[in-house]
This record gives sequence, C-alpha cells and structure tokens, in this order.
Amino acid sequence: MSAAVSTEIQMLNVQIDGVWMQFPKGTRLIEACSQAQKFIPRYCYHPKLSSPGNCRMCLVELGMPKMTPDRKPVIGADGKPEIAWIPRPQISCAQDVSEGMGVRTNSPMVQECRQGVMEFLLINHPLDCPICDQAGECRLQEFSVEYGNAGSRFLERKVKKPKNIELGPRVTLDAERCVLCSRCIRFMKEVANDDVLGFVDRGSFSTIACHPDRQLDSNYSLNTVDICPVGALTSSDFRFKMRVWFLQETKTIDVNDGLGSNITVGARESTIYRITPRENNDVNGVWLPDSHRLNFKYIQDPKRLKTPMVKGQPVDWRSAVSIAAQILKACPSESVAMIASARMTNEEMFLCARLIDALGIQKQHDILPRTGEPDGILIPADRNPNTSGAKLFALCGSKPGSRLQRLADGVKSGKIKALICFEDATKCGLSEAELAKCAVIAIDLLPNKTTPHADVLLPSSGWVEKRGSLINLNGRLQRLNRAVNPPGEARDDWEILRDLLASLGGGNGLASIEDTFKAMSSEYAEFANLSLSKIGDLGVQLLQPKTEEAAKAVAAAK
Amino acid sequence: MTIPAELLSKIDEAITHYPVSKRSASLPLLHLWQEHFGFVSDEAVTWIAQKLELQPINVLELVTFYPMFRRVPAGKTHIRVCRTLSCAMAGSYALRDAIAEAAGIASPPTGHAMNEGEAGDAGHSHGVDKAAHTDVHNAGHGNPVSVSPDGKYSIEFVECLASCGSAPVAMVNDLLKENIALKDAAALLGLTRSDAILPQVKAPHPREKRVVFKNIDREGWQNDIETYLNDGGYSELKKALAMKPDEIVSEVKASGLRGRGGAGFPCGVKWGFIKPGGLKPTYLICNADESEPGTFKDRYIIHQDPHQLLEGMIISCFAVGAKLAYIYIRGEFPEGAQILEKALAEARARNFLGKNILGLGFDCEIYVHRGAGAYICGEETGLIESLEGKRAYPRIKPPYFPAVLGLYQCPTIVNNVETLCDVKHIVKMGGAEYAKIGRPNNTGTRILCVSGDVQKPGYYEVEVGSVTMGELINDICGGLKAGRTLKAVIPGGSSAKVLRAGEKFKVKDMEIALEDIPMDFDTLAACGSMAGSGGVIVMDDSRDMVETLNNINEFYAHESCGQCTPCREGSLWMKKITDRMLDGGGVSRDPAVLKNVADNIAGKTICAFGEACSWPTQSFLAKFGEEFAARAQKPIPPPMPPEYTPDELEKDAPILTYPGKRDNGVMGAASTR
Repeated sequence: MSAAVSTEIQMLNVQIDGVWMQFPKGTRLIEACSQAQKFIPRYCYHPKLSSPGNCRMCLVELGMPKMTPDRKPVIGADGKPEIAWIPRPQISCAQDVSEGMGVRTNSPMVQECRQGVMEFLLINHPLDCPICDQAGECRLQEFSVEYGNAGSRFLERKVKKPKNIELGPRVTLDAERCVLCSRCIRFMKEVANDDVLGFVDRGSFSTIACHPDRQLDSNYSLNTVDICPVGALTSSDFRFKMRVWFLQETKTIDVNDGLGSNITVGARESTIYRITPRENNDVNGVWLPDSHRLNFKYIQDPKRLKTPMVKGQPVDWRSAVSIAAQILKACPSESVAMIASARMTNEEMFLCARLIDALGIQKQHDILPRTGEPDGILIPADRNPNTSGAKLFALCGSKPGSRLQRLADGVKSGKIKALICFEDATKCGLSEAELAKCAVIAIDLLPNKTTPHADVLLPSSGWVEKRGSLINLNGRLQRLNRAVNPPGEARDDWEILRDLLASLGGGNGLASIEDTFKAMSSEYAEFANLSLSKIGDLGVQLLQPKTEEAAKAVAAAK
Repeated sequence: MTIPAELLSKIDEAITHYPVSKRSASLPLLHLWQEHFGFVSDEAVTWIAQKLELQPINVLELVTFYPMFRRVPAGKTHIRVCRTLSCAMAGSYALRDAIAEAAGIASPPTGHAMNEGEAGDAGHSHGVDKAAHTDVHNAGHGNPVSVSPDGKYSIEFVECLASCGSAPVAMVNDLLKENIALKDAAALLGLTRSDAILPQVKAPHPREKRVVFKNIDREGWQNDIETYLNDGGYSELKKALAMKPDEIVSEVKASGLRGRGGAGFPCGVKWGFIKPGGLKPTYLICNADESEPGTFKDRYIIHQDPHQLLEGMIISCFAVGAKLAYIYIRGEFPEGAQILEKALAEARARNFLGKNILGLGFDCEIYVHRGAGAYICGEETGLIESLEGKRAYPRIKPPYFPAVLGLYQCPTIVNNVETLCDVKHIVKMGGAEYAKIGRPNNTGTRILCVSGDVQKPGYYEVEVGSVTMGELINDICGGLKAGRTLKAVIPGGSSAKVLRAGEKFKVKDMEIALEDIPMDFDTLAACGSMAGSGGVIVMDDSRDMVETLNNINEFYAHESCGQCTPCREGSLWMKKITDRMLDGGGVSRDPAVLKNVADNIAGKTICAFGEACSWPTQSFLAKFGEEFAARAQKPIPPPMPPEYTPDELEKDAPILTYPGKRDNGVMGAASTR
C-alpha cells in the first residue's frame, strides 16, 4: 500500500440534492453526502469495515451524466451536465463518487425506501426498549423517529430467536434484536483477525452465532458491542447497570499502554460505568481492547488511600508535606533516591524533574518499566502510557529500569537513606524488610506492599480523576481529562509535588495545572507554543515517531 | 474419529478440484460426509473445518444454510416429497401424508394443502392444527425431518425438485419417482429404480423444433460418449478449436442468443465483457442449479445428453479463455451429478478435456460442483459465493459484476445449461443462420416446460415465438382437463407475473388475448410478465388464487437467503399474511398491506430475488383482487400483545386474527415454516 502518493488529488463534481459540489476521487458516496450535511441513515455500513450492502437503509436515488451517442456528457441550460436518473434506488455505501454523478438523498422514492426498510426491521424486533441497554443510543430508535412509521401493520407472530446468549465472557447476544447487519462478523474477521462469528440458519430465521466449541473471547470482543447499531450485542459488564442518557461523558485517553487510545469515560455521580473508544485515526482508529476498557474498577476500590499519613497515623496535608520535606532535607543528596512512574503526566514529571534538581539527586532515580507481548493489533510492548515523557524529562536513563538494581542495592547497603516512591518499591527489587531500612515517602492510590512501610504516605489521584498530558510511544501529545473526583482528601499528584517543592524552599507560584504546563513549555522547547487547551481532543504530534512498532500501530489504527 | 480410508481418499480427491481455494471444497466434503455417515454431526463440522483450514463456524454456517444437510440422522430410506406449486396442485400434501402413514410416521409437519382431491371434489379444504402452527413460527428454515419409530424411514417436504411436468414427484434416497398416484405411496418405500434415468422413447410433437432436445427421449439413445460420437458429437468442438476465440464470440453475438436461465440477457454481450489478455484467469461456470418452480429442462439435458452440454461448455471456455470451469448442479440432482462425472471421465479419456485438447493447444478442465438445496444459488453471484464455499449470499453490483470480479475475484462467465448447449449449435450452423430461427431479438429455440392443469404436461422445444399460449396449452399440451376452463397462466417460472384468462394485452398497438400471446421474450415482457426460465404453469378454474399465492409465498419465504432486509423480512411476512387469510383470519386491509409489502421489496434488494418473491404477490393481487378481498373480511383487530406475553394470556384470550381449527380438513395442514 505504499505506492507513491500522487501530489494532486483529483476532484470530482457531484450533484447532491440539486447542489453541485466537489469531492476528492475515492470518496465513498455515503461519506460525500455526510460531508454535504446530507446524512444517510445506515446500519451495515461502517467506514472501517468492508461494505456488504445488506441493510438497504442507505438507498438513494442515483444518476449518471447523460451521454451523447459519442460518449460526451450532455450539458444542460445551466452549463452543468444533465443527469440520467437510474429508475431503481441504489445503495450509497458501496460505491465511490464519480464525475457528474447525481444523488437525491431525500426524494419521495428515498423516503419510501427508508420507511419500508424500517418497517421490515421492526416487524420481528421485540418491543423491549424500556429494558434494552441500547435505548438512547440505538439506531433503530433514532431512525424510527426520523424515517419510520408510528403505527404497525404487523398482525402476525414474531420470529422467535435465542435471547440472553453469552457469546463470550464479555458479550451477550439477544438475537431477536439483531438486524443482521453483519458488522460484528466483519469486525472479528477483518480487524480482530479471529473469524469466530457467523450466521446460522437462513432467511428471516438467520441468527448470529459462534460455533459451540468457540467463544467470542478475543480481547477485542467488546468492539462488536460498540459497532452493533442496535441492542443485540451488549456488554455483559455494563448490561442493566445504567441508562446511557444519565452517563456524563468525558473525553480522555487510555493509560494501559504506550499507545494512549482515545476513549470516552461514561460516569454518573462519581461512579464510572463504562469506557468506550473515541475515534482518532492517528492513534487507535475507533477500536479499544477489552482489557483496557474494563480496567477501571480499581479506581472505585473502597481501599483507596484517602488521607495523608505519617507513620501510619492520619495527619493533615500541610503536616504530611512538611514532614516529608524535613526527611528529605535531612538527607545528603547522594542518599536520596526516587522511583518515578511512567504513568505520570508530563506536568507531574516536569515537577518531579524539578524535585530531582532541588534535591540534587544524581542518577539515583528511575521509572518502573512495564512490558508485554505486543498483540499485533493495538497493544504495543510498552505498557506504560508515558515512557516518552519519562525519557524527555530524564526521569530515567536511555534504558528505563536499568538503574533500579543499583537503587535497590543502595537501599540494602544503607547508602540510600530516603526513597521517594511513585511505584510499589517491592516491584523494583526490594523486599519489605529492606524497605524498613530507609525512610520512605510514598505517593500512591491504593495500598500496596510499600505503603505500610511509608514514613509519609500521600494519597494521590487516578488517571480518570486528573488532568494533564501524556506523550504516547509515537510521540503524540494527548490530554487526560477529569471524569470523576478523587476520593476523600486524595489530591492531584501535581499539587502534591508542587507543595513538596515549596516546602523544600522553592516557592514556584504554580496555582493551576495550566500554570504548570506553561512553566513546562517555557523550559522545554518541545512544548513551546502549546497549552493544555491547544492539545485538543485528538492530541498533537510532539516528537518524531521513533520505533517501527509505533509506525505499525499508526498503520493499524488507520 | 476414524475416517474410513475410502472416504478419506474421496475427500482428498474432491479437494484437488479446487486448486485456487480449499474452502470451495466445503460443500463437496459435507456431501461426502453425509453420504457416508447419514448426517453431518458436530464432529463432522469440526473435522471438515480443520481439514480445510477453516474456522468451525465457517462450516456450521453452511450446514445451517443449505437445507439438504442434516445435523441429525434420518431414516435408512429418506423420502423427499416436493411441496412446491405444480406438485402441490397435483396433490403432494396428500401424498406426503400417505407416505408418512405407510412408513409409520405419526404426524409429519403440516402445511397448506392445495391438492385438487378426487375429480369433482367439492373444493379445496384445509385443516390446521394450532399446535403445529405455533411451532412453525418458532422453527428455523430447516425442513423438519420426521423419522419412523423403527428408524427405517424418514420423510421431509422439500421445495421444487424441478420435475414439475411429472408432478407429483418424490425422491427416495437418490432415486426420483414421478407421477406418483396416492395408492402407490406404500410401494414408494421400496423404490429401487429411478425414473430419472429410465429410458423412454417419446416422439416430439409436430409443432416442436428439436435442436437442444434433439436427443431427449430419442430411440436408441444412450447418454454415453459412443452414442454421442456416433451421432457426430464433438465435431463442433474440433471446428471451434480451429477458430479464433473472438470469432466464436462474434458468432454468438450474431446469433442473438439470449440467456435461457431467466433474465434473457444476450449471451454474446455477456461474453464481450471479458477483456482478453487480462492478468487474472477467467472462469466459466455452468449454472445447472435449475430450481425456478415450473422449470424442468436442464434436468433432461444432463440426464440424457450430458456430452452436448460438455461440448458446448468446452467451446465456450475456449471462446472466453477459461481453462477451468465448474458445473454447479443443484443438490437434488444426485443422479445428474453422477452422469456428468461419468461423461467428464469419458471426455477426459478421449482428450476432449485436459491438457492440449485434441492436440490443438487448448487446456481445459471441468469439475462438477453440487449445491445442497438452496434456490438462491441460481442467482449467479450467489452461486459464485456458494462455489467459494460460503453461504450463497448474492453480491452487490457494483462492484461485483461476475465478468470483472467473479469467482475468486476473477473474471467469470456464468451461463445456463441450455444456453451453453445452444453455443454448440451456433458453432455448427453459424451465428447468422441460427439467428434465422425464431423472431428478431428472440432467436433460436426455447424449451417450454408446461405443468399444472393440462392434459399433457411436459417439455416442448419450439422456435421462440412460433407458438402462442393458446396453441401451447390447447394444441401441444392437449388442452385442459375435462370440463375445466382456463383461469390463469404463469408463463416463465413461478416468479413471473401471472396472466389471467380473459385479460386483454396491448402489444404493439394491438389488443390480444392471453391465448394469442406468442411465447417470446419481448411479447411476454410487453404483456407485463416474462419468458423467464420457460416454466409455464397452467391453472384452471378449480384453483383458488389465495392458496396458489400462499404456496408460492411459502417457497420464497423458505428460499430467501436472509442477507438483505426487505426480502428477508418481507418474504416471510407475505407468507404469514396469506397463511392467515387461508386460515380465516383475513382482515380488510390485508390485500393493501400485501401489495405494499411486495412494493417495498421489489427493486430494493441486493439481487433479483426481491422481484422474484414480490412479483407473484403484486400480480395475483392485481389480477385476482376479488378472491383476496373475499378472504379479507374481518375488521382490523387491536394490536397483538407483545411477543414476550406469557402463553397463558393467549390461551385465555385467543387472538382473533389467528386461526382456530380449519373447516373439514382433508389434509392435516399447518405450514412447515
């Protein structure tokens, strides 16, 4: 697919509802109509999948330029080509625009077609909208209102099909709601590379199914729920939990790996109910792995750290921070070490870098690397969301994690007397007994093996509770947004770091995350002329993509 | 699971027929498995998937799509009784029940009978068993198979077996039995000889012009290659191989030959879509999926004159540059498939096929590919999908025109059996000479298959347009049955629009009666119907048009592939409405709704099946509106309770539009689907 890109894109003249417009060659007709603000309803068409043309919802009236016998277009009185209209309606999802094409998107014939298709789709559809999870974001509901009939002429019995079928560990099927658009089948075959779904039976009795020996258990199975235009496939996790219209949606990014998939967090009253992918064709396309979208429960864990503690006793923030500062001040710089985290935002890392400076820490800091097998689709080897940032702010060496052994040895030998932990130190080569040998300042969300040994424990915020920016493995700067508030007295990490820095003697005048970003952009040229708001919902390319893996991920997303 | 060595070698051999894609061998493997083990077990699905490097769902999709595959064992003797129009008119519902009784099968699934009963019978009665009816709505498309308690016999109702001229017919295992009288039902169970290959000698009617059917029912004729060669066979192949391919295409263009499958598309124009010198290989497929109800011509060519078809095919392959061709034969022609296999072996042995044919430098191979009971495989892109080992879902056009993106996304020509046979005769007599037969733009001969209420149903090859409807019925077919008058004719297979006796048709500024319509493509189109596949179904005044339409609706509801919305939902809806009308629950707006449903299907689907299933409804309503109105008397009821209403509610408050017991039923009757 790496053919040389033609420098000039050919523009084609297309008449849509009487208005001539230009579209680049290769534009799908249904997309051209959308661009012209003439939305064409559709069920089976999905821009990222092949077009089977089976739902027949996108029928339009189509015309081609009228030709003279010597194959020249006939020019009308208005100087535009005359159009010969095809008597039968045509689908708009499976063909590209061509020169002189004419489309009518809302003629009586088209309206009649849509009404007919809507009626056919509904005659065997159960009337269970009140208890259907899709209600509120269901194309059947939406297009019924827009294009359908209010009354029913159907006096017969509906076709019975299987209901409440667990297609896999995370997806539940109600076959009676299914409109047989085959999006899920095509997704599993074309994107997830796991041809596990298919149709069984025939005609009106056709049903989506897995072979009994197989399950829809791919780590991408929940994407079928996203693309299901109706309530046939539902997320077993989200099922019956919350009406979708009550969900407050926050655009943010995923932190489970270095890609930083764009997502939407659906929450109501500080409870997160679901996470769905958000389209970004430079990152994740429209997909998201199941493992990532379901990994939010720990945020609502009742064991979350809620109050600052000193030696296991709750204290107020001011005392906690000043005690931490005293501990650090009391130690010579060569006896202080920091285990930072590549899960931190750039703003936090920037302040960490200042802290390292202020304390005079010399290469006694690192991050905890997280890696795994890349899945060949979206998930890369790097499972930290901001390794690029950690490198940029020099929170680690060129090889993240390479200093951890030395740090551990330093603690064991007593050389290191104070340890600032943004990660569980026991995952960095230290035992709990060894941790007891030095002063520990831990900043974390949840109790872990390090927190009981913390001299000062500072409760911080989860990724859905804070704002800030991250740089993905591809060098793209993206923005985290707050979906819910942190519990109890837990604070934003950047605030904790700011206060600690202030206590150490460096007043810094940072009043907001925006101030922090501003300070960062004045010190780091990469962020010049940027601000959190300028990053936007889709992010900006900050660094040149370096790895082959990164390039592959971008290709997969597109 | 141990697979017998013999079966395994057959399986491995079958796979070699598909050098491009092993997946194509799915259907052949399923057939081989079912022939050996009697049914396709879950294990079979997994084994075949593994063998063909597919996912098990890929195979399960096929087993559940093609009705011929069974997932449970049938009886040792399995009987398939044809349910479709011509057979139903000849009493196949009663026949099925009689066979079931003889076989000791308690209650086969039921449906709307349309037998005419004994001569002079008071009319068409039906009864319905509510319980059976209810099940119907919950059953899938699959034909319910009823097995006798001793496991010896099983019976199923199937859609058109393409032998409408000898209705009613049934298949006993692979053997065909024609013209079955009710009293012979018991004898059928021990059938050992097939009517399909029974030699019979029958002189053509004087009005006929036998070209393609020259050797059918001919005295002393055998379907082996010696007989064919002695009659001058394969000399046209020699002649053709000495010509240039584009010369043959030009001859076919000059002949004006129009496709005999149903659409009547000019064959030469179709061939002209193949651009010579392309990088991709070209394929030719013979469409032998003869399954339009009322049509039974290809069957006889395959059974009695297979070499004519092969010769026509090899010539056509040469003309379009195809080195690999398939004959897609419908699954219900097992004997036909065997005959073709034998003929292909004979042709290979004499180098009419294979490498360097007759030393003239052309390589060509042909394989037989069996379908498995799906009407939609007659649609050329559905056929191609089926041949690729998938569910026969027709493709969208554009972009998938077979001549550009056909089999394996390569240029492909799909022609009907009769069309390919005609090619041989065009090469023999030259395109211009061939064009002199018939009428301008309607050239050649046409095999008309007449079934229904005539004295002598059967196949008649005539010059296109040389006989009128009246001559066909009254002269050639010996007229209607005693004391009956003509009511209606479906002129081109059951999807063609019905024509009513007494109607006047405007053709070229002339008003003509039904009897005066010449049987050619253009005139029948001008009369608002079509020549279609040549299947002429005649109905006399004893026929109830609602029943007739219901039978047709059941066929299309059963055969809809289910891919696109209007046909999938609409075909079953129409059938349910006519079901209800027959059951006495017709409400006043039913005719209007029926028509509107049909209108919402036609022209809005992926393939022509949309028209095929809606034209009967549209035309029956337009032509016989009074019969439908008579059955649509009830007031419009309040809406049905939602489907998740408990059954008890319905028991307490029966829904008026739904049937109770039908009056004095002769046939146990509730639809099978």
